[in-house]
Amino acid sequence: MSETYKPDTPEQVLDALKWALAEEQTLDVLGHATKRGFGKPASGHNGLDLSSLSGISLYEPGELVMSAAAATPMSEIQATLDEQNQRLAFEPPNFGPLLESGPEAGTIGGVLACNLAGPRRISAGSARDHILGFRAVSGRGEVFKSGGRVVKNVTGFDLSKLLAGSFGTLAVMTDVTFKVLPVPEKSRTVLVRTEDQAKGVAAMRDALHSSHEVSAAAYLPADIAALSDVSYVSAGKGGLCALRVEGPGPSVEYRTGALRQLLAGYGETDELHTTNTNALWREIRDVAYFVSGGEQLWRLSVPPADGARVLQKITESICGRAFLDWGGGLIWLAITARDDAAHQEIREALDGIGGHATLIRASEDVRARVPVFQPQPQALAELSARVKDSFDPKGILCPGRMG
Amino acid sequence: MNLASASRALVSEDFIEDLRAIVGDRLSTGASVCEQHGQDLTYHPAAPPDVVVFATSTEEVSRIVKLCAAANVPVIPYGAGTSLEGHLAALRGGVSIDLSQMNEVVSVNADDMDVIVQAGVTRKQLNQHLHNTGLFFPVDPGADATLGGMVATRASGTNAVRYGTMRENVLALTVVMADGRIVHTGSRARKSSTGYDLTHLMVGSEGTLGVVTEVTLKLHGIAEAISAAVVPFETLEGAVNSVIQTIQCGVPIARIELLDEVQVMASNLYSKTDNPEQPTLFLEFNGSEASVREQTELVRDICDENGGGEFRWSIRHEEREKLWEARHNAAYANMALRPGCKIMVTDACVPISKLATCLLETRRDIDESGMLAPIVGHVGDGNFHLTILLDPEDDNAITRAHALNDRMIRRVLEMGGTCSGEHGVGVGKMEYMEDEHGEGVAVMRQIKQALDPQNIMNPGKILPAR
Repeated sequence: MSETYKPDTPEQVLDALKWALAEEQTLDVLGHATKRGFGKPASGHNGLDLSSLSGISLYEPGELVMSAAAATPMSEIQATLDEQNQRLAFEPPNFGPLLESGPEAGTIGGVLACNLAGPRRISAGSARDHILGFRAVSGRGEVFKSGGRVVKNVTGFDLSKLLAGSFGTLAVMTDVTFKVLPVPEKSRTVLVRTEDQAKGVAAMRDALHSSHEVSAAAYLPADIAALSDVSYVSAGKGGLCALRVEGPGPSVEYRTGALRQLLAGYGETDELHTTNTNALWREIRDVAYFVSGGEQLWRLSVPPADGARVLQKITESICGRAFLDWGGGLIWLAITARDDAAHQEIREALDGIGGHATLIRASEDVRARVPVFQPQPQALAELSARVKDSFDPKGILCPGRMG
Repeated sequence: MNLASASRALVSEDFIEDLRAIVGDRLSTGASVCEQHGQDLTYHPAAPPDVVVFATSTEEVSRIVKLCAAANVPVIPYGAGTSLEGHLAALRGGVSIDLSQMNEVVSVNADDMDVIVQAGVTRKQLNQHLHNTGLFFPVDPGADATLGGMVATRASGTNAVRYGTMRENVLALTVVMADGRIVHTGSRARKSSTGYDLTHLMVGSEGTLGVVTEVTLKLHGIAEAISAAVVPFETLEGAVNSVIQTIQCGVPIARIELLDEVQVMASNLYSKTDNPEQPTLFLEFNGSEASVREQTELVRDICDENGGGEFRWSIRHEEREKLWEARHNAAYANMALRPGCKIMVTDACVPISKLATCLLETRRDIDESGMLAPIVGHVGDGNFHLTILLDPEDDNAITRAHALNDRMIRRVLEMGGTCSGEHGVGVGKMEYMEDEHGEGVAVMRQIKQALDPQNIMNPGKILPAR
């Protein structure tokens, strides 16, 4: 990257893109650069640093909506929401430590561009489900907006969904509007102790099928549980399934009791109150167990009931540590670093079940060599290429970032 | 709108024979079948296709679309014909592909709480199929629409506050693209991080990018207990403020509907009930028995503080049905107010903080226009519908109704809202696209151009002619 431009206004973003188009230069789009290690390595001629585009422009707690400039720090958004006892329901993770980019979680634009989500993904969806609208400059050098601040809108193509998870390759978002939700009065976690991963997945399934509104469901094997800072989790010296319930006090107490009763057959049960619950799910959200160790890290997304089976198949041939989130639908897998990141073996384990594997952490040269994202079938890849062309025909935005 | 300038496609005898080679007898060029496929239930004028084919598989749809692409003939997908904005009108003629015979529930994956259906399965058929699994599919637009059609229009319903709309409940799709290629987007895995979200680009594309032939949907557990409640308010503000406070408290309310005083009057006449003719909230809570009680009581207190009248509620099935009768019968009650009339249903949505103001100003406009138009709102989302009754004897009715709707939409856009919260654009809302989206329309055009360069997929919808 030869030079980095730092626009102070959306108009200057437009200028930068017009310049890039005229000069046939490519741009890597950055907020706080906390997710540079995620995805294919950036390879643009120049950087476009949006960090000056910061600040919350609208917050209506009564309407559960917030608008902010794209590079507004997540820390500022969280702090502002805390004051009104609200939050981002999709529980965006802080991958700063995991991706070795520092303690901070980056910007709201980065979270949306990478479509991140935490354990509440199973009940609240991901970033994509919470973005209501945005303003952006397309790779054609044209300013446009989409959506707005109402929750329901069916007027034309859903461009917000397309931009969420596009890693800056379609357009440069300058402002975003998103949903926020109240923090529930109480959170508790039911723990079900079992060494048997398949049993853990079955317990999660039963819990998620029940009417007790479980907001998160994870399984931690003994070696991972031992790393937890929550003593109830680490001191048990065994694997466990964790199920979170949230809501008004009496309802949470009732549901916690009902879940313990429902799942008693799977193993000894226990429960965590609000403070410990928050601590445990923060660890799971941020994949804290794999921050140190220097392993390569994969995120596998599978139909939940297949989670345990896929993991068993992989660990038969590859040495690694893993845990399950999203009721079994998400596998976090850390493996001893290899030149090929074991991508073939890992993706073969997903053959025929409709899942996908993303390499989340590996050195830059490995990520340059290995398909970071699950390769798409040809017809889909061609369709994606046409979508990319329609936004960015000259390919000036974040070249190669999505592989 | 500049629809007339688009020339009608040439559908030759040879072309029909080529179609027949694919679908055999499942083809009709008969006037009545064609007319039925070019007309929805609303005031929009009919525009029949040249031919209707009844497809039975994705492969067949692919072959039909390939044929249409080669001959430059428009393709209009058809499900149950329950859309409301002229989505199915064959403005340039062409082939209406009726998917209603693709009505197989392909697989229910109870453990993963998802289901794969063919596009022609209707929402009621799906829920009947799920009977005994403890699971259900929540999105419930008024009509018994097909799930393919619901994907295409990004449909929602009365419980969107709790369960979301089609946008939140579609996991994956099989789509036949404009060149006839079959594409599978998304997967049963919950999170797709492989490339752009083409699934959600298709959801709400109204048949203008491709034909949806198979849908993977998220299912939800049936609540252990349900309670229903009805409460009238002295003022509309009181009702709306109760809704705002309820949502702010984080109560996971399942349904929250508002009927204005005119709608309550219509429903009273129809159902012979004597609900106070005041703005009235209809509420439903789902969950365990304890949580349902707790939610209901909390919301009762909120309503009390906002000037709510008698708060009647029940968790017993028959009593719940009785409480909600006025809401369930609203559409029929409106038809009965003026037998033989046609209807125009509006679909605006505003930020909820502006809802009370918007409704009051709109009600004043209705009264000044002299038209009859009860209001029903999915108030949790700020979305509301006027059912404007069009007197068939009155030649100017459509013009006056348009003027009323137009004034309301301008107001809604100024308030940061949208002209359509759940019905879609079709031909009915095209004239507002530039106002609402500005340059965003150009971006949508570029996508349309990229995916359907010949403009054969449901042409003349969503994107206004330039």
